[in-house]
Amino acid sequence: MMILETKGLKYSYQDGTQAIKGVDVKIKKGKKIAFVGKNGSGKSTLFMLLNGTLKPKEGAVYFHGKPMEYDAKSLREVRKSVGIVFQNSDDQIFAPTVYQDVGFGPTNLGYSKEEVEEKVEQTLEYIGITEFKDKPPHHLSGGQKKRVAIAGVCSMEPEIMILDEPLANLDPVGADEILDLLNELNHNGTTLIISTHDVELAYSWADYVYFMTEGNVIGEGLPEDVFRDADLLRKSYLRQPRTLEIYSELERRNLAIRNRFPTSVPELVNSFKPPELMWIEVSADVKEGDIINLGVMHGEYAISSPYEAVNAKVLHIHPDGHAIAEMTRHGIKSGGIVIYDTDRYDEASFRKVVAEEDIDNIGAMGKKSKTLAENNLIDLQITSGVIDKSILMALCGKRSLIMTSGGMVEHAVKRIDGYAENSGIAIQLSLANIERDELDL
Amino acid sequence: MTNILDDYALVSPLRYRNNWLKLTIITFGLLMGVSSQSFILPFTVAFCMSFATVHFGKIPVGFYLKLLSAPAVFVILSVIIIAFFFGSGTELFGFNVFSYRFGINTGGLDMALLVFSRTLSGMSCLFFLALTTPMVELFSVLKATKLPDSLIELSMMMYRYIFVFLEVAWGIRYAQTVRLGYKDWRTSLNSLAMLATTLFIRSWEQGEKIFISMSARCYDGRILFFEEKRPVRATELILTGTYFSAILVLWYLTNDISIF
Repeated sequence: MMILETKGLKYSYQDGTQAIKGVDVKIKKGKKIAFVGKNGSGKSTLFMLLNGTLKPKEGAVYFHGKPMEYDAKSLREVRKSVGIVFQNSDDQIFAPTVYQDVGFGPTNLGYSKEEVEEKVEQTLEYIGITEFKDKPPHHLSGGQKKRVAIAGVCSMEPEIMILDEPLANLDPVGADEILDLLNELNHNGTTLIISTHDVELAYSWADYVYFMTEGNVIGEGLPEDVFRDADLLRKSYLRQPRTLEIYSELERRNLAIRNRFPTSVPELVNSFKPPELMWIEVSADVKEGDIINLGVMHGEYAISSPYEAVNAKVLHIHPDGHAIAEMTRHGIKSGGIVIYDTDRYDEASFRKVVAEEDIDNIGAMGKKSKTLAENNLIDLQITSGVIDKSILMALCGKRSLIMTSGGMVEHAVKRIDGYAENSGIAIQLSLANIERDELDL
Repeated sequence: MTNILDDYALVSPLRYRNNWLKLTIITFGLLMGVSSQSFILPFTVAFCMSFATVHFGKIPVGFYLKLLSAPAVFVILSVIIIAFFFGSGTELFGFNVFSYRFGINTGGLDMALLVFSRTLSGMSCLFFLALTTPMVELFSVLKATKLPDSLIELSMMMYRYIFVFLEVAWGIRYAQTVRLGYKDWRTSLNSLAMLATTLFIRSWEQGEKIFISMSARCYDGRILFFEEKRPVRATELILTGTYFSAILVLWYLTNDISIF
């Protein structure tokens, strides 16, 4: 169902610059949408049209199928449901303390004092910023300010959240935390719209992508389709995402399986063709055409995990005993992932899980779980890109534990199940302190 | 960036104490200091307030002394002038300049000492407030004083954006300095003018941006005030009571004591 739609939207600024030149977009409920384009392509202007800050010169914005009205009362309704997080957090956070800023929206929605307080406490807890609620914003880092800005919008419980360049100017770990948070919000039903010129982000994160140039939408579609279109990328002044670029080069050299669209490193790894031919040393009595067992391979042949090369067929032998063999491989130790719900954390059971499950690496996803790990002196080996890295570790025979909470548990289970389904590699996934039936999968 | 008083106040443990109690203590200290005719009481108040700031407020001693020394030059100059030009009584010390007699007499010295002690007590009281009560807390006090809401809201926003613009100003100044924008008097003046112009334009733009972002969150003239309920604890009440009565007794006993 379409939650937000525009038809023939046009807008020009007072100085006559046409910022939006006839844009049609359809936003489905519960999706993650990315608008990609270079700076000045009209993304920010479009966003201001979507929440009624600007009024289009022509065309209309439809919210839940009804054309948007621009009187004060209707605008209020729209703005309650369509929240916007600005690129520069300082433009948005104006109150002297975090608490007041987060409470600004609910206060204006006319909640009572007690309701506002409850709402604010809830939101602060959810976003993981309770610890700096009485700090002034100038004592916060960029990532923390961004969280506060998101909390300020979140406390109004919008159906759609629009974020203008949400990861701009953030360090990688800060960006990762914001991304975790966005995924959780989306999982809980918020439709997300972001603008970005980071193709990696749009490609790996979004469900649907719009390309914008000079006020026009010049292309749209599923990320795996649009980012293959070199022509479209060139017209948008963008380049191909790195994972896709590496994949295409591998594919061209016949090193990767065809028609895959890896969006993450684990998926890229999974698209590799296993090496079928290998140089080996053979003893004098081996003849061409013999089948030999090379045994377990270590070291330089199998850097991250041992595997067994079986039924190697010797194809050709050089006079000096150097031979080419064709073979298939089997991993001999499969890794796994354990998910631990930190909402039900207790120290004894956690230590027991780590010991019994033979865990090599512990990762935490989401601010809350990271704080919990820190407070309980749990050493974290993975703090960013947790799911991807755990999958990679599992492929190498290692066992990882992911600490997470709330909707992120389901998100993680879905990602790992999805990977197993697409790749055909069974990753042993277990839930430490929660039953599968309790999850909303 | 440099640290300002507000930054110390924000992390001081006394920040989380009842604002009204702190204000009462300060008002009391100020009034007693000013009304005393003897230098003993103001010095006592100054000592107590400084002790409270450094010990309870966890303000570094070095920083506190540096802070006190800032107005000290001004105070000492005025004290010297008072000592020489005011009062009467026996002369203690004097010299001639071009047949004009300069001298300090007992009355002048007494007065100088009293002025010095009063200044010190006043300063330590105000520093106590500045170093333990950040602006953020004072806004709720202002709110309770029934000042018009719009005035307080405006001051809240001004407070917030002072820091944003401070950062912008530092950035611009640094960018100018590294390109020799302050190499001599003329260029400095020119650079400073450019800095001021840019800041003005920036603040204008910022105002428009805030308006948009506020209306995007349904602004209809209401801002949440930060009010934490901080009841006065029994120990605080006892301590304050003891302090007040001790000062009052001291005031009664020492009010007419002076050196001469």
